[in-house]
Amino acid sequence: MLSFPAPSVYQASKCFVTCGVMGHLEPKQPPTKGKPWATLTSQDFIHRADLILPQEAFEAVNVALLRAKPAPEFKKVTMSLQDILTGVFFAEYIKKGDVMMLSGGRRGIDNVYSLKHGVLTLFLDKEAYERAGLVGKPDGVKGKRGLKPRWVVTLDLKGDSMFPGKKGFDRLVYAAKNALNTPVTWLFCNTSSTTPNPDPLAQHSPSDITSAPEVSQNIDVAMPVLQPEVEFLTTGHKEDLESFSTEIYEWLSLVRLQSPRVRLGDQIDPFLCRYQAPEAGQAKLCKISWQGFLTPSWSRQTLIDVVTAIPAKTWFSLSTTTFSKGVAGDNSECTILRPPGSGGEYIMWEVRGHE
Amino acid sequence: MESRKNKDQPIAAVLLGRAFEPDDANRIFTEKIQQRPLFLTPSSPPPSDLRAARRRALQKKTEQRKKALKPKPLSASQRRKLGLYDVPREGQKYTIFEPLHNLWLGYMREILGGEIYTGGEGAAAKLASADFHGAEVEVVRSGCVSRVGIKGIVIKDSKFALEIITRKNNLKLVPKEGTVFRLEVPAPASESDRHQETATAKQDQPSSMVIEIHGEQFQYRSADRANKKFRSHFSKTL
Repeated sequence: MLSFPAPSVYQASKCFVTCGVMGHLEPKQPPTKGKPWATLTSQDFIHRADLILPQEAFEAVNVALLRAKPAPEFKKVTMSLQDILTGVFFAEYIKKGDVMMLSGGRRGIDNVYSLKHGVLTLFLDKEAYERAGLVGKPDGVKGKRGLKPRWVVTLDLKGDSMFPGKKGFDRLVYAAKNALNTPVTWLFCNTSSTTPNPDPLAQHSPSDITSAPEVSQNIDVAMPVLQPEVEFLTTGHKEDLESFSTEIYEWLSLVRLQSPRVRLGDQIDPFLCRYQAPEAGQAKLCKISWQGFLTPSWSRQTLIDVVTAIPAKTWFSLSTTTFSKGVAGDNSECTILRPPGSGGEYIMWEVRGHE
Repeated sequence: MESRKNKDQPIAAVLLGRAFEPDDANRIFTEKIQQRPLFLTPSSPPPSDLRAARRRALQKKTEQRKKALKPKPLSASQRRKLGLYDVPREGQKYTIFEPLHNLWLGYMREILGGEIYTGGEGAAAKLASADFHGAEVEVVRSGCVSRVGIKGIVIKDSKFALEIITRKNNLKLVPKEGTVFRLEVPAPASESDRHQETATAKQDQPSSMVIEIHGEQFQYRSADRANKKFRSHFSKTL
């Protein structure tokens, strides 16, 4: 809607709270537009996902999600940028297929490369950018650029101009051969449904990793009231909504961390911890978590499956966290809570930085 | 009454009367305003007499004669108009400059001698004062990223730029500022190696000395560089 200009000073991450209603879910056509779905797909690479449910709903989810569908898989491989841009790998995986790849390193410090939907993004420091010779944009907050600016180079590898022999592509291959030629460890995930038959990845000896879900059951917690009052959503009660959503988000985060502070019967000296769990009730919860290199389409599909598997009045909460982005290590996160006794209502917390 | 008094008094005296006591106001008015002459026109120079005019004409003539004796270098626009440094279209061929490149390689091997294998400070000092016309350079790093990858033979080494002819017969003028150039001098193959080359099909590549020149520090004409002593500076932008 309104696009604000890039900030000129460092801005801390912000949390955006949305209260809305999920539409009716068509099993054949998964929704892509609209608030919870669009936000889930806009995340780039997901590192961790957590699902928190009441214990009674666990069996239904177990059957529908955990046993029926295979756990998400990804591969870890060591390749150089040149291996990706030449040969069968380029022709099969990048031009024809759809893959997601992320190289190791921290974005504000090392040179990080990422590939998503055919768009190759290189986050480079000044020396690597000047040696590579590819045109890019300055990266980072304007005020911090100073003597050593960082650069982002974005290239669409699925475009018509990206074929060997064309000038732009040859410059990219030159850069990969001379400036960015060290082999790096990549996380690789094939998002298309088919795999090419002599697998071009096999020659680089990838290691297959499965992010099996970890289940913790029967967690006794003190529960707050999860249903927001109707007055909160009217215009005059903004502070009430803010305090309610902060309290619920804090509680949900502590349950995700399996913190002893939210357990029943927890007694800690208030000098050591000032957090008081809300004592509105108690319940048994179960938590399912996935950790690895997950795709946003998987998280969207998981949300759809959970909504269809669980009985209509039970509450649940799904949170997805991406890989960390900046020098400070901030990552973006999306948490969706469907309150109990509601018909498709949800509250979504989206934590996002400017990077 | 008072307004009539004020009408007779000049404005400056009225204003002074507001700021100072009446005695001080009067004193300031008489000393600094009334008795000070006010020039209406700027003082013009005295009208020149014939003798001064003749003297001035003579001075101008001697100056012009002195100037004509000193030859001045051509300005940039004059150079461009005369086209003295343009390479003609028939001459813009890479193959014409290849023998120059071989000459340069021979010259480099001669001045480096044994240091081609070891490198070091002595070699660096010699290279700093060496001439680079005919060297095959490649732009390896540049603040302007479109220059990276330009490779060819140097045909002109001026103060701020290098003129390079590429293999595709394009003439490129690459500024030295913020650019790093790479040169390679292959070590001479010895007599025995040459006999072995005909015998064996596979041969290891002879070692070569790779030189990287930071154009920022090299912004001197090649003639001026011969006697210049280079000191190592820490570059803020590297």
